[in-house]
This record gives sequence, C-alpha cells and structure tokens, in this order.
Amino acid sequence: MLIDINAYVGHWPFKQLKHNTCATMLENMDRFGVELSVISNLNGIFYKDTQAANEELYKEIKSNRKFSSRFIPFAVINPIYSGWQNDLEACSKRLGMKGVCLYPLYHDYEITDPACVELVKRARDRGMIVSFAHRIVDSRQRSWMDISKEMSLKDIMPIIREVPDAKYFVVNAANSITVSEEDTEILKKTDMLFDTSGRILSNLGEMLKRYGQDKFAFGTHSPILDYLCGLLRIESLYEREADAKTKQLLRSGNAKRILGI
Amino acid sequence: MNKSLSRRKFLSGTSMSVAGLMLESNLRNVGLKKQTGNMDQEESSSRDVMKEVMKYRKIDAHAHLYFSPDTIEEQLGFADRLGIEKLSISRPFTGDVGTHQDVIECNNLIINAIKKHPDRFIGFFTLIPTFAKESLEELKRCVDAGMSGYKGYLQVKVNDPSYYPIIEKLIDLKMICFMHTYSGLGRGGYRTKYGNLYPNETIPEDMIDIAKRYPEMTFQWAHIGAGGDWEYQCKALKDYPNIYIDTSGSNNEAEMVNYAIKYIGEDRIFYGSDTSYYQGVSKILDADLTDAQRRKIFFENYNNVLRKGGYNVD
Repeated sequence: MLIDINAYVGHWPFKQLKHNTCATMLENMDRFGVELSVISNLNGIFYKDTQAANEELYKEIKSNRKFSSRFIPFAVINPIYSGWQNDLEACSKRLGMKGVCLYPLYHDYEITDPACVELVKRARDRGMIVSFAHRIVDSRQRSWMDISKEMSLKDIMPIIREVPDAKYFVVNAANSITVSEEDTEILKKTDMLFDTSGRILSNLGEMLKRYGQDKFAFGTHSPILDYLCGLLRIESLYEREADAKTKQLLRSGNAKRILGI
Repeated sequence: MNKSLSRRKFLSGTSMSVAGLMLESNLRNVGLKKQTGNMDQEESSSRDVMKEVMKYRKIDAHAHLYFSPDTIEEQLGFADRLGIEKLSISRPFTGDVGTHQDVIECNNLIINAIKKHPDRFIGFFTLIPTFAKESLEELKRCVDAGMSGYKGYLQVKVNDPSYYPIIEKLIDLKMICFMHTYSGLGRGGYRTKYGNLYPNETIPEDMIDIAKRYPEMTFQWAHIGAGGDWEYQCKALKDYPNIYIDTSGSNNEAEMVNYAIKYIGEDRIFYGSDTSYYQGVSKILDADLTDAQRRKIFFENYNNVLRKGGYNVD
C-alpha cells in the first residue's frame, strides 16, 4: 500500500498543469498503485481569502463518492489574514480536513509571527498536521511574477522549536535538511515526516540513519513534479539500507501513524 | 514532548461534523482493507517499479566525476542502483575564469577514470577555447587517450569565433559538441533579457547561431532540468535538427519530457542525470511514452549519435 503525503489539486498561474483534479490525479494514483493521497488546493496560495480554496477542495471531493475514500484533504490558511481562526475551525469540523498547509513566503509573514504560532498551536490542539513545503516550484525557472525565495529546514526549525508537540510535514525538501545537533535531537523527538519528493534526498539511506526510519514517507509533490521520483528513492534502497519492514513504513506505515488512520 | 495520538483521541479532539466523519469513515475503511492485505501484494508493487526501471538499457548522456576520493564508486553506486549501463562523464572547470592548467587537471581525472572502468565510462574532455593553441593540443591529447566527445562550460559562448577551430576538429572526429547551457531568469528578468548570471553562458540563441553555421555538427543542449526555463528552451530549439537536448538536472517537473517530445521530437532527446540520478530516470518513466520511445530516449538516440564516430556501446 502506498500513501502519498504531498499532492495538490488546483492551478499554478504560470504554467498549465495536468493531473491537477481529483479525477485526473486518481488516474495517476491507480497507475502507480497509490491508495491514498493527502491533497490541498494550490489556489489557496494565490487567493487572498484562502478559505475559498478550501471550500473548492471540499466540493470537489464531495462530488464523487470515490474521492472521499481516496483523498485526505488539507487546508491552506494564511494566519495574518482576518478570520483565519473561524476558517481553521470550519476546515477541521465541517470540511473534515486533517492538516493545514502554511506558506509564509507566499503569504508574506515570518514563521514565528505570533499569529502563525497561534495557528500551529490550534492545529496541534485539533490533532491537525502542519505542513511546510521548501518550495512549490524550482525558483530558477519561475515566472517573472513568482517569488524568488525558497525555504530550507533551518527556516522551519523556529516554529518546530516553538511548538514541538505539534505534528509536522516538511515536503518537497529541495534544500538543506542539515541542522544543528541540538535541532536534530528536537526533530527526532517531534512527530514529523519528510516526504520523499524533494531533491535533497538523493541519499535516502543515509537520511534514514540520521533522522530515523520513522521520519520519512512517500510523497510525490504531484502535479508539480513527476509522479515517480519519490517512489524510486524508496524502492531502490538496498536491503542493507532499508529492510522490508522499513520500506513498508516509508510506503504507508509512517503516514498511517501520523494521520491516525 | 509530543506523543502519537491514538485514533480515538484524534477523533475526539477533532469534533468532526457529519461530512468530516463521512470522509474519515471512508478513509478508515480503505485503511483497514489494505492493512489486512498481505505483504506479497505490498511488495509486488515495489518489485514492479524496479522491474520497470531495470527493463531499459541506459546510457547517461550527462554525468560527472568530481575531485573527491570516492567519486567513481559514488557515481557507479547510483548507476548500479538504477540500471545505468554506461555514463558519459566529464569534469568541466566550473569557474567563470580558469587557466589551461585547470583544464588539464579536469581532463586527467576523466582519462584516469575511463582507463580504470572502460566498460562503464565514456570520456568527454573539456577546454577553454580562448587558450587557442593549447586547446587544440589538449584536444589531441584527450582523443589519443580514448576520449569520445567534448563538454564545454560557461567561460566562452559556443558561438564565439574561438570555438570555430575546435568545432571543425570535432566534425572531423564525428564527436558530439556538448555544451553547458542555460536560459532562465538570469540576473535581471525572463528570457535572459538582461543576461544570465554568467555573461558567457550559452543561451538557446547562441546555440542556434552556431548550429546554423555548422549544420554537420551534432550539438547537445545540456540539462533542460537544471533549473533553466525548459519550456523556453524546447520552443527555441524546435527547428534545428542538429541540436539534441538532454533531460538531466535536479528539476523533475511533471510534463517536462512530454513537452520536449512535443517540440523537439522523440529522436532528438537524450536521457541524462547530471548526477540527479533518481530524477533522471523517473521523469522518463513517468512521461506518456511508448515502450519504443523510452528505449530511444534511454539508449538508442544517444548511441546512434555516438556510433557516427565509432564511440557507441555494442
């Protein structure tokens, strides 16, 4: 069984995407044997009122019975925009969302902004996972209207230090995930997962040794990135790097644990 | 510190509505059904992926070695893992200003590697063409040492007149002229409007210019996945049959290969990694290609070009 912890529907304003609806993503999932996908709506990065994107996603999932058994929706919330507290509650209670994606660079706030800290604490209290992406697209080939900055794990650590008992995803780890020894120890104790889509995971075997086998899970960053790379990083591990049990954790076990399914 | 929440605790803390519970209920059913599935079923899907990877013969048209003690073992380790039979290796000098001695040291690294592993490596030499006399001497030394093609970097644009004698020699030897290239935001804006970060980096328009001057020369446009604007590159290079592209680079955006097929065509695309080995393979396997197209891109297109000069794999 495969669970993809990093996928999206919606549009990217600077490039045509394929497989960016529940229906078309499901085709890819079936093609590669993925049973469940965590999805959020890319439109939420660009709408000032992100709740409209969350409602869109909810509606899309509700539109076909099959979708609700294959997709795990995450919200997109901007904690410095008015009404986010109500939006978070609605996403959790009414829309059945199990996590929240935060975009400090796109939504233009510091990760330790009191509102962000408050949101992460509320997400923690609701059992929701907080997800940060290092980047959505490679900034080297971005549109001239897109942002130029990307994140690394060091940029995310301040919020993890601030709210260490929340649950986190760090997805599309394209940049460094090397942090101080002290922060490495904090991460080991945190209930968090890196997904396997990011380019920095060129040596997953070594990363498993550094952070532990409970810290990684299959992810695609689809439909932005190709669907297969995150899976190849897992399946090409040698037995000495990851035995059958560890691979099972990477394919779905760790995702099930943190998602509570 | 955090403790993993049990599912019961998770639900009670979430206070889900009917709609939320419906989603949750469906998820639970899926999860339970699959949890009871046997390991054979679980493992069979993974075996299939690696079987698909290993099914295709591959020549990596864009690989590198580095000045580090384990470089050969490291690169071959990735190649073995993903069934890459041969790697075209080079070590260009990557600074924007270099000496001829830098070039010689880079080439010596590759010469030693191809001597050690002739069954795995195809050697590409590098030059800085502004060292005109020395470059032609170095070219001869590298060819005599068994090198099979040329890799240029960003010190001199490929259409600079200092390249003419080198390209004419490469035509005689039926070797590929493989250039580091870029087009993206550069320092100022889209379409390299204000120039790339490195002013002498080859952009599509430079390669088109030289490809028109030497239609008998085979050019390789490096790494559409190395971060440049691959849509711009594919559209720009569409109509030039002596320009091939390689798909290497760390950027494995979906649709990149499909887009390249649309504009460049299935016969002018080489598979490559630029040491991003997983992305190199996954973007070809993920694309909407026929089996025959995958064979062309992973192996045949590149091998056919190498064959012109007798540098091919049997």
